[in-house]
Amino acid sequence: MELSGAAAIFFWFFAIASLCTGLLTIMARNAVHCALFLISTLLSVAAMFVLLGAEFVAGVQILVYIGGVMVLFLFVIMLVNVGAEERGNVAIFNSTRQVAATFVLVLLLAFAFVFAVNQSREALFKPPAGPSAVVASTVSATGTMRISRNTEEVGGALYRYAALPFEIASILLLVAIVGSVLLARTRKQELMGPNPGSDS
Amino acid sequence: MTLLTNILGFWQSAESSPLSEGLTHPDLSKFLVVSALLFMIGVAGVLVRRNIIVIFMSIELIMNAANINFLAFSHYLTSIGSVNALTGQIFAIFVIVVAAAEAAVGLGLIIALYRNRQTIWIDEIDLLKW
Repeated sequence: MELSGAAAIFFWFFAIASLCTGLLTIMARNAVHCALFLISTLLSVAAMFVLLGAEFVAGVQILVYIGGVMVLFLFVIMLVNVGAEERGNVAIFNSTRQVAATFVLVLLLAFAFVFAVNQSREALFKPPAGPSAVVASTVSATGTMRISRNTEEVGGALYRYAALPFEIASILLLVAIVGSVLLARTRKQELMGPNPGSDS
Repeated sequence: MTLLTNILGFWQSAESSPLSEGLTHPDLSKFLVVSALLFMIGVAGVLVRRNIIVIFMSIELIMNAANINFLAFSHYLTSIGSVNALTGQIFAIFVIVVAAAEAAVGLGLIIALYRNRQTIWIDEIDLLKW
């Protein structure tokens, strides 16, 4: 659990990078810049997933989020881009009342966060005892091989203990595909398609 | 008042408490701190921005913060030798699946909305308000 040296530098670099690019995501004027900063944030978070021993989830994060969802975001920005933000003559934030309410809410969250850290520091910062067996070492003819067995373990657990949620997730994805196609079609495409009321 | 003194004591006794020792190693607590800060950034983005696409991106930030939490606790449970330590990783995968489905449906909604109202500013989309 405890990391030092290169792992600590790795963690601090990517933690600070994720927070800075996260801030830039909500501060940038151009929506495309927001999407690119969000990609940087997701990449830093994936690096922290690797540090947490979850290589499979980090790969899924890069493939699904950065490769799929963010490309979808960029396509939608391209389709609905109004171009007023880049010219700089349009307010990108809400009115002052909403911004003030947001600051109050975030301050309350920060207050609760500091309080929670303060209350539970004895329990949280105690170094855990026990063996850590994430990386398996295998001695082969070419030397010691260090391969993470994370993907194998996650796959086994996914099909053994989480089979029903897995199937429900597949149905959810199917419904999302059909629903997004149904939502995004034009008036002309709606008229061209088969009438759901009639049998023909 | 005790709350205030607790928080002040948290800042003052930082060098002699286990906190300073914990902060030298990136273990569970540091990931939780990063996750909480990322969550706050996401909430602020949802509430502050006018562009509905950027609001969707902030929701993705919030989901990533939740994922960091899941994986940090999964790692912690692995290190103390728990039997169901992988549950956090399984749940993180399902969070990613739900986020992908949500992004697809939400962006379809944005396109339909833009086609009908010709705007992506959320303060102009107020048909249900009055």
